[in-house]
Amino acid sequence: MALPSMPYPALPFAPPASQPLSEAEAACAAALASLPGMTPVRLTKILGGGSPVEAWTALRAGEHIADPDHRFCGAARRSCPDRVLSACREHGIAVLVHGRAGYPTALLGDPGAPAVLFALGDPSVTQGRDGVAVVGTRSATPYGCQVASELGRDLAGAGIVVISGLARGIDGAAHAGAVRAAPGAAPAAVVGTGLDVVYPTENRALWDALGTTGVIFSESPLGTGPRPRVFPARNRIIAGLARVVVVVESHRSGGALTTAEAAARRGITVCAVPGSVRSPASRGTNGLLVDGCVPVRDVDDVLVAVALAGRGRDMPAPLPRSGSLVAARGPVSRRRRTAGGRAVPETARERAASVVSAADAKVSAADAKVSAAVDAKVLAAVDDVPTSIETVLTRTGLRLPDVACACERLVDSGVLRSGDGWWART
Amino acid sequence: MLATIPSAVLIGVDGRQVSVEVHVSNGLPGFTVVGLPDAAVRESRDRVRAALLSSGLPWPLRRVTVNLAPSGVRKGGAGVDLPIAIGLLVASGTIDPAAATGLAFCGELGLDGALRAVPGAVVIVEALRGHTVVVPLANVNEAYLAGADRVRAAATLRQVVDALQGRRPWPTPDPTASAPPEDDAAQGPWPPRRGDLSDVRGQRLARRALEAAATGGHHVLLVGPPGSGKTMLASRLPDLLPPLDHDDAFEVSRIHSVAGLPLPPGGLVRRPPFRAPHHGASPVSMIGGGTSLMRPGEISLAHGGVLFLDEMGEFPVPVLDALRQPLEDGQVRVVRARGTVTFPARMLLVAAMNPCPCGEGGAPGACRCTPAARQRYARRISAPLLDRFDLAIRVDRPAVEALVGEGTEESTMTVAGRVAANRLRARTRGVRVNAELPGAALGELVPVTGQAEALLERRLRDGSLNARGLHRVRRVARTLADIDGVGEVVGEGHVAEALLLRCRRDILLGADR
Repeated sequence: MALPSMPYPALPFAPPASQPLSEAEAACAAALASLPGMTPVRLTKILGGGSPVEAWTALRAGEHIADPDHRFCGAARRSCPDRVLSACREHGIAVLVHGRAGYPTALLGDPGAPAVLFALGDPSVTQGRDGVAVVGTRSATPYGCQVASELGRDLAGAGIVVISGLARGIDGAAHAGAVRAAPGAAPAAVVGTGLDVVYPTENRALWDALGTTGVIFSESPLGTGPRPRVFPARNRIIAGLARVVVVVESHRSGGALTTAEAAARRGITVCAVPGSVRSPASRGTNGLLVDGCVPVRDVDDVLVAVALAGRGRDMPAPLPRSGSLVAARGPVSRRRRTAGGRAVPETARERAASVVSAADAKVSAADAKVSAAVDAKVLAAVDDVPTSIETVLTRTGLRLPDVACACERLVDSGVLRSGDGWWART
Repeated sequence: MLATIPSAVLIGVDGRQVSVEVHVSNGLPGFTVVGLPDAAVRESRDRVRAALLSSGLPWPLRRVTVNLAPSGVRKGGAGVDLPIAIGLLVASGTIDPAAATGLAFCGELGLDGALRAVPGAVVIVEALRGHTVVVPLANVNEAYLAGADRVRAAATLRQVVDALQGRRPWPTPDPTASAPPEDDAAQGPWPPRRGDLSDVRGQRLARRALEAAATGGHHVLLVGPPGSGKTMLASRLPDLLPPLDHDDAFEVSRIHSVAGLPLPPGGLVRRPPFRAPHHGASPVSMIGGGTSLMRPGEISLAHGGVLFLDEMGEFPVPVLDALRQPLEDGQVRVVRARGTVTFPARMLLVAAMNPCPCGEGGAPGACRCTPAARQRYARRISAPLLDRFDLAIRVDRPAVEALVGEGTEESTMTVAGRVAANRLRARTRGVRVNAELPGAALGELVPVTGQAEALLERRLRDGSLNARGLHRVRRVARTLADIDGVGEVVGEGHVAEALLLRCRRDILLGADR
């Protein structure tokens, strides 16, 4: 995919003196956003940066200039703003209006910013901190999920707001990692459904965690189900909120690439995590790298990208970058420093050697020698991408009981993951 | 005049003795059948009349009433044609009543007077204990299974009447066809019927699982993309099983006889049957039942052998869930308003399915099915059903090296020999196969080494194994150790292997979960 060069220059903007939103304005804004048939573009036109109450009154009266054919007039007359607002309040959902207090400042200069945002949790967690979007495919490999989760954890630990879509696969893994980072920045999510519709349902626990410690944004009114068109639309908000977008895994076409494209249009740095050239789940990300995106090996690469992206931008109250970099290196303890000062992760093979030495202590010396050799043989036959047991059998030529035994040992020592007929290195 | 002729009808896989009472009296000529006959029995009037006339026998122009006693049992099938005809002849005085004493009859009549085979001759002869039974010549082999000394066979109605009138002796059946079943030469292992196991290249994991399934009687689930050889593997399983012993063979023959399946020469089914119903099968066709005649279902026809469910994910969910109880009990009770029938259903279940709707769920990340679609697909196999499988493996398309190289894989004969020997070993433990080892005795029958014990304990502690799973793993480990002939104590390798081969839900959900 060829990424467009920046048609939108990074606009320096002066945050307007944000006026607080009155109860009546919030109610009218929520009611406008909840009208059937309302789209982000129409809503922006109707609201036009003015007062939601005025827009609502004009719409009801059939006098709104942006609604010449009275498309929303009837629906607006049947709707009751107070009831819409009280439904939001019942779920603990705040209503944010573009340009008014509480609205995420990162979105203020965005050409596609939603006029009205619903927020579950504390919307202020995105203010005054850098955001990094960690996105990717829903059908991710264990490798992708693990990388996303580690990135989420390390970024949050470095004081970065991890932004993602709370979907299956990479998105959920990134959020789960961010939530786990013990002292860390609270994560933010942008979802496609209404904030009272948990989708996918298996992420309910994550959803609740983000609703309490972080924030979940949605431009869809309450009750909006997982309709296909809402997800690409929310990707532009993810891109808009972030300073850097990291695509962890993506198929040749997929939602994560629309996020990357939206980010590129806005001049936001897009990074990609390289994957195996054999893995279909990495085809999109490897394509991004060919197109010139920044490769990401670990959290440091992302932090450097964030630091570079911050230059020349006039963001309010940025965190000290150097501080965040130092903080990032803190929790990442299993790294060694080489002469050049770069952090180099231990290889799986090195870890395998330590496993074998751990096993040595348990069994008698002769047995240990044999099983260590078997373990090494089995480990060598397993790729970084999931490998089938049959392949391991063919490559090693060992008997199944021996291979099974080695597998159990390697799993116990955390070098190998197995489960459903596939083995992969961790 | 009244004549009472003993006969029998089928109810499920059991025979039920009925008395055919024929009453011939003066009055308006007519023919009535009473006693809950079904359509086939009611139509026997026309067959009997034509057969009598074709055989040159008189049809009484009098009032004829046929009663099938006991009248509360519904009678089906054409097997009562012959007893009705004999009853008529006795009642009308053509045959001396004394000549028919002690004889029972069954058989369907053709319009030309020929005796046609009936299903379930074994069972019918068995039900008519204490009688000498006259059966159609075509049924004589199976009838001999129930007692050769009290079976008479005839090819036509005329032959029966001649023998009863003492004009000719009972025809002797063809001696080659009536070889006593005990001398059945087919003791196995036979040359395979459906291709040899050596045709399967590579697939070491699958071959190992198949041998374990055949040896230990463990139900096995094969999951893999199309073209990976699941069907090829499964169809080679029945040939690995040892020949049925006499009791089993007799029971299987009964079921097949009742269902009207062709029996081998000699009448006794020695080779374990193989049934592979299409996934369009209805619950009744799988479990058994039906309208008038309770017919055994596919699971009973596979009794003693292999039931292969190809594309298990495509079977209707009610059909799959109906399998749960028979798999546990080894028999199925079919309950209808009219009565209850118990069919034996102890078979080895082999199921094959794709990992996901697109079938391609190969390497993780390769399949583009949505997780929701994949979960929906996996949900079709309920957890209790999945629980019945001791072995579950992923089958993948064989590597190129395996296909082009020299094939040195073991043949069906070799493996079948080992299976038979190891099954004998299971007998010494008091069970047919290791899968039936009682949970309480596992500690004693499956002693494991200290290392293996530690491995199991680790798996129990990290929650990847539960108590029921532990039992399964021990049984499978026993089988695997038997195959490798390592003696009584099971080592860590075989326990680890059993852990590897065990069935887990994520085998259906793919590596992404």
